[in-house]
Amino acid sequence: MITKEQIDSFIQRIPPAPKVLQETINLLDNGELTKAAKTASQDVAFNAYIQNLVNKPAYGLQHQVSDTSQIFSLLGIPKCKQIIYSYILTLLSPEKWSLFELDFIKFKELQANISGKWNLILEHLKIVDKSVQSSISLLPASLIVADALFKERIDDVKLLKETKNLDYNTILKRICGIDIFDLCEEISKKWGMDENVGEIIQSASGVKKSEKKDIEYLGKWMHLLLFYEFSKPVFIEAGLNDFIDFQIDFVDEIYEDFMMVINGATK
Amino acid sequence: MRAIIKNGIGVFHPQGFLDGDAAESMLSIDDIKATENSEASMILVSLKKVIFFNKNGLETFVRMLKKVHKSNNAIVGFCDYDIKKFNSIINFFQNELSFSLFKTYEIASLFAQNYDKQNKNVLVYSDDKSQRAAMAIELHNNGHNPIIAQSKAEFKEKSAKKDTYDMIIEDSYIGQMDSNISSRVTGNAIIYTLSSYLDADTTNKFNIAYHTNSLKIGFRLFIFECYTVKSMNIHALNFFSKIATYAAEYNATICFVGMTYEKTPIKFKETLEDCGIMFFERLDDILEDKELLHELGASKAVAGKDKKGLNKALVSELPKYIDATVATINMMTNAKATKESAQIQTIDIKDKDDKLASSIGFYGDLEGMIMLAFPKKIAKKACEVLIGEETDDIELILDALAEFVNIIGGKVKSLLSNENIKVKITLPRTYENVDELLEVAQDKKGVQVDLSFEDDKFLFFLTR
Repeated sequence: MITKEQIDSFIQRIPPAPKVLQETINLLDNGELTKAAKTASQDVAFNAYIQNLVNKPAYGLQHQVSDTSQIFSLLGIPKCKQIIYSYILTLLSPEKWSLFELDFIKFKELQANISGKWNLILEHLKIVDKSVQSSISLLPASLIVADALFKERIDDVKLLKETKNLDYNTILKRICGIDIFDLCEEISKKWGMDENVGEIIQSASGVKKSEKKDIEYLGKWMHLLLFYEFSKPVFIEAGLNDFIDFQIDFVDEIYEDFMMVINGATK
Repeated sequence: MRAIIKNGIGVFHPQGFLDGDAAESMLSIDDIKATENSEASMILVSLKKVIFFNKNGLETFVRMLKKVHKSNNAIVGFCDYDIKKFNSIINFFQNELSFSLFKTYEIASLFAQNYDKQNKNVLVYSDDKSQRAAMAIELHNNGHNPIIAQSKAEFKEKSAKKDTYDMIIEDSYIGQMDSNISSRVTGNAIIYTLSSYLDADTTNKFNIAYHTNSLKIGFRLFIFECYTVKSMNIHALNFFSKIATYAAEYNATICFVGMTYEKTPIKFKETLEDCGIMFFERLDDILEDKELLHELGASKAVAGKDKKGLNKALVSELPKYIDATVATINMMTNAKATKESAQIQTIDIKDKDDKLASSIGFYGDLEGMIMLAFPKKIAKKACEVLIGEETDDIELILDALAEFVNIIGGKVKSLLSNENIKVKITLPRTYENVDELLEVAQDKKGVQVDLSFEDDKFLFFLTR
């Protein structure tokens, strides 16, 4: 149904990060926040994106901000990096979704919700690692990949799903031997992200154990965060709740802490 | 979200966080309608992958379950939960608990009609005495051997010896529902359980569509279990006479077991015997006597009346059935199946060894049956996506084959509906050897299509 060649050709088609943004990321990596903001401001579309995003309630800013340098200094290096990756993803997102009932606005909302809550989780866990913050940007990427791969045979995939209770990710894995999380890892390499980003993403699948305890712990939080967002009516209707298989035992130990962090955010 | 239906049991699998808003988004009106039309005898909502739920979230599903129960009398409820979730549900609904709760899917399946695994030793415990009794009666009616623990202490003591029981039931609840005439399948015999008074209402409680389709897909022995029947009146007598006549047209046998005549005139028995119905004292008199089972038709499925063969309407849609089959193979294996030859004939399978087969019927605007016969290794390959891992377990392969032919049935249904031809599909049937298939298909004319798939051949047969 979906051949390895098709998958390879899809990965080939993923554009590298735009030059200006790649430069911004490099500057951020070197701790040059002001220079990074200046470089980023050359990309008009990115400026509009970041302004729109950080002024959403999920970011909890008290006043509206519209200056890129101001936004960069308010957010700090890790969050800026995370937003740049999210933006690169929106460039990749399709005009018309086929498997998932998403559009540009819903997809952006999902990105904002997930990255906003991920920041809160990391604050709770007292983690300030830049690559850990960026890793969340790749989860929406998996949606784009899944949608593109299943595009041609949507009806078949849906029928297969109705016959046996398989999530889309398992269907892909059984057919191609590669799953969405593997693909995300490939994208992270292509975009020059840190190695442990791929590991965190793999661990967030809930089925691939990481030998590193701290990575596995982060994977649990990411897995539960995904299902928290995917259980919202708009994303259930979009079909995201059927996307990956929820591993309840995997997240059991962090459930109460998670609800505490999330409820703190929604109060 | 649609229920996944297997062995007559439909299960919804919500996951994540289940509050009122989320649950409503999971169930559309179409989903509820599809469930009502599914003819599953049990509909469950699995809570296995639900990490959080509240009363509003469950109530959306309960409303759907009640609707489905009202329309087709299915047993409805929730399954796959831990003690914390069980207590929450009991607490949420208290006196309004009309649906059932089964700790696991396996426990639920013991209470399901059509379930083909019987004679399980089941240890049962509930704090509520009437629940213990209700479970024991249902289990007994479904052919199991319930052992009731009368107290928590007794339950603890007994359940410690796990090997003694096939299944242990606790933290479960049987909802109070009007009962239909339940049916179950054992081998190739269908057993219906009758109880209390058999009267005009018996006709309404009997699922005639299910019975007719069972005849069509080749079941030839039907046993009515009457151990708890108190009496039968003339309306029920007329009804069973008709059932007997209809069965005779298919060369099928109808048996009554455990009928008593204290309140039922003995001449009713004579009348039914004249219609061809046979009477036995115990169910095991039939099931344990392999020779008798064979004679009665449970191991062979002789095509009787139904020698209709093809008609123009059916043949004109042939490309759709083949397309559905080819597309399914393509979808599941990424390999292309191609048509080699097509001929109108009676079914002809040259090499019968090491082959598996499956069939699915459809009825409605068009009537027919698709049969597929595969070499075992091809069947395995075709079902690889469904099986998931390398296996030689024949039951697993047959199970996947049933799902495979179910997908073909689903595709046929949707292809036909594009042309406004509405059909329903029957349950899929599988055959461990092709002789069983031949007994169903013999003498029937149909279109035989030889399909090839990666240098191997398999057979497609379309008939009425």
